[in-house]
Amino acid sequence: MDEQFIREVQNILGRESVLARHEDLLMYEYDGSVEQARPECVVFPRTTEDVVKIVKAAARYEIPLVGRGAGTGLSGGALARQGGLMMVFSRMNKILEIDYENQRAVVQPGVVNLDLTHAVEHAGLYFAPDPSSQKACTVGGNVAENAGGPHTLAYGVTTNHVTGLELVLPDGTVVRVGGKPTESPGYDLTGLLVGSEGTLAIVTEITVKLSRLPEAVKTLLAVYETVDDATETVVEITARAITPAACEMLDGWTLRAVEEFVHAGFPMDSAAVLLIEVEGLLEAVEWQAEQVSAVCREHHAREVRLARDDRERELLWKGRKNAFGAVGRLSPSYYVQDGVIPRTKLPATLRRIDEIGKKYGFQIGNIFHAGDGNLHPIILFDQRDPEQFERAVNTANEIMQWCISQGGVLTGEHGVGMEKNELMPLLFSPDDLELMQRVRAALNPTGRLNPGKIFPFGKGCGEVRVQPLPVSAASPV
Amino acid sequence: MSTRPTSLVERLEKLAGASGVITDPMTLEFFSVDGVLPVVVARPGSAEEITEVVRFAAAEKLAMIPVGGRTKLSIGMPPQRYDIALDMSRMNHVLAYDPGDLTLGAEAGIGVEKLLELLEEKNQFLPLLVPWMERATIGGIMATNSVSPLRFAYGGPREFLLGMEFVTGEGKLCKSGGRVVKNVTGYDLHKLMIGSLGTLGVITRVNFKTFPLPLAQQTFVAAYANAREAMALVQAIAKSPLSPRVVEVVDPAALPILGSNKLPAGMWSVIIAAAGNEKAVERHHVDLARMARDSAAEAFQSLTDEEKRMLLGRLREFVRHVQETHPEATIFRISALPTTIAGLMEQLAAIAKRMELASCSVVRAGSMIYFALWRETGESESNLKRACGEIFAAVEGVGGWALIEWCPTEQKRQVNVWGTPRGDFELMKRMKKVFDPAGILSPGRFVGGI
Repeated sequence: MDEQFIREVQNILGRESVLARHEDLLMYEYDGSVEQARPECVVFPRTTEDVVKIVKAAARYEIPLVGRGAGTGLSGGALARQGGLMMVFSRMNKILEIDYENQRAVVQPGVVNLDLTHAVEHAGLYFAPDPSSQKACTVGGNVAENAGGPHTLAYGVTTNHVTGLELVLPDGTVVRVGGKPTESPGYDLTGLLVGSEGTLAIVTEITVKLSRLPEAVKTLLAVYETVDDATETVVEITARAITPAACEMLDGWTLRAVEEFVHAGFPMDSAAVLLIEVEGLLEAVEWQAEQVSAVCREHHAREVRLARDDRERELLWKGRKNAFGAVGRLSPSYYVQDGVIPRTKLPATLRRIDEIGKKYGFQIGNIFHAGDGNLHPIILFDQRDPEQFERAVNTANEIMQWCISQGGVLTGEHGVGMEKNELMPLLFSPDDLELMQRVRAALNPTGRLNPGKIFPFGKGCGEVRVQPLPVSAASPV
Repeated sequence: MSTRPTSLVERLEKLAGASGVITDPMTLEFFSVDGVLPVVVARPGSAEEITEVVRFAAAEKLAMIPVGGRTKLSIGMPPQRYDIALDMSRMNHVLAYDPGDLTLGAEAGIGVEKLLELLEEKNQFLPLLVPWMERATIGGIMATNSVSPLRFAYGGPREFLLGMEFVTGEGKLCKSGGRVVKNVTGYDLHKLMIGSLGTLGVITRVNFKTFPLPLAQQTFVAAYANAREAMALVQAIAKSPLSPRVVEVVDPAALPILGSNKLPAGMWSVIIAAAGNEKAVERHHVDLARMARDSAAEAFQSLTDEEKRMLLGRLREFVRHVQETHPEATIFRISALPTTIAGLMEQLAAIAKRMELASCSVVRAGSMIYFALWRETGESESNLKRACGEIFAAVEGVGGWALIEWCPTEQKRQVNVWGTPRGDFELMKRMKKVFDPAGILSPGRFVGGI
């Protein structure tokens, strides 16, 4: 990287806000994914003005630029795939405004997801998207990835909770899209930007909806002797339209790993558990909990346990949210996948994942958002062994192909990033991808913003790694 | 028109079939947009035929407007050019309905009423209680971001739209999103299509999340002496644990238009529809009655099913009833923060009064206002123009957004119905250029002349 450029950003932000030494950069070459790429310089802006100055400098030197929140993403979205400059938002962590009456907050991108909820919960409000990493991940990262979480089953993902953004385009222009009201005339640019994985603009300010905490919550744990019974329960809960706030599944292998680590109270000898939460008006919650229990029992749940108090409830969720940490204790590396299928296809899909695991010789754990058909198979492997790594990736790809054959998609909440960009032709036709790339070029014309993400490289060089399906077979829209 | 009509028709017939191309004057009249008639109506029967027609139009630089049930064609500015009306009525099939997954995919030309009937068989619905219910199509509802009273509970289409297929201005069939309920694969281009008024693409397929019909429902009316008190109840509901489906506030001046005798004359009525299991509905009843009492409501009552059906039907069709009773009316669609609405309503009423214009309003879902105004007798046109300017300014003054959703064509020569474009307009123009580089899709109808 041009030394002159580094001096320039040091002059803009001060030396303490710029990292450029090899050893300082190492910790920015990873995120939550299995990918790796090192930036050549890391900067920590504090204001939109800082961001504008840095972006303009990067434009002059034609340096690639990637934004990063806490680096908890699981698809390599916050990695500097082509080196260059990384902009970390940890110092842009101010809540700029809380409008309690209108249930809005305006925040800088580096605000930690759970900190926002903590700041407003005294008023009975919270920020609904709740990724497992919510203690660390930032609202800016949530916006980039359109993050989900267990409770998005009832409340929707990040895009459903963002009404406006302040953007810095790659040439340094500042643009506001949307605002505090629910809608604005013209194209829904906010809707386009959320989930664009940092490839269209740098987001420097976010206006979010705050949700009202429910009056009552009941959390149930249903314990099963077979995975099929658990998945059939989810199909039936969906079909009966009971709509829990969350409906999570842990298979036997995963729940044992979690239990040994967290002691959440999951029965060690079961084949699967469902963690189901119903929320809302007291009267509605009581009715829903009865309905859920009934469906669980009809599908041979060995036990349906109702969390007796907040402590027990929090323990169950601790088990769920710390699952990946638990898995990390048991395997040198693990690869978390993120596919989605129609809920009716859950039983067949879990069986298929098991078969695929056997075929490739991997233990695959399953812990996922069953209620919205969002799978997270965890493939255990040893990354130090290149052969295993390649085999793990192939395993994951076969699972993805299955999801798509069932009318599903490549990612439900982790993003495409540099993990699945080569798989995009499985779902999208060349015309679809070309249109999306032209949308990218309209905002990010030189492609310097988060390069190497979302779109396959092969395109244009006659080197597509995965053959696209014909339009009719790629069905689902 | 760069091509002679006959050759245009002949070539279109090759693409959409002889039965799919219409030129008789009566039909063309049906498809007029702000008084502008198309040269020809094309009625393709498949997404592939649509791509063919659009490619042809793009090559010939012919302007095209996609048309659904012809209920909302007068939204937007008059078209700069209009050669082909793309009648979507043959694109009326359900493509995938998986009741067990609560998802649905349908062609864009399908009528919303037909779709709701199909869903009802499985005890499901879409939160699209939109005006012109018996004629409106799914594609038209998406393209105009049509407003349903159910927004209070379910939000607008962007909250339950899963994916779309559409034909771009270059005649390419593209898609984004999917049909599963959770998905972050690729850009959400379908969100751009919502409210885009046919300027980015021809929507051919729409995928939705569907919802279970509630087990029980009950509708209540609380009446107040003024807008401030009525809005205070709406705010109190928003802060309560209650979760009604519908919360509407009706101005007493709107009563003759709504034609409901269940709303007390001279009062501001708050209409609340509760839904859920019976105990939850009963809880709404008890709590709402108490909240009404505590807020000194002049009246509080529960409606019978028949009364409810009538009233919600009239509210759903409010903009249509305004146009039927006052064809000259200008109807603003305003989005604003709940705390600003009561004050804004007072400002709007004051503007209308000062300009000697009649007006009435409905507040939808606590965050939107439909504000209609019209000349009673002989007031000058300049008053109306000035009133519109002041209304745009008043809404902007409270951080809200306004557009004129409905007004007579002549008035569009005086006032831009979209108001003044804001800072994001440059990006909108770039989007338009990506999707429709030749500028053939609904040219001139949208924000800032897009």
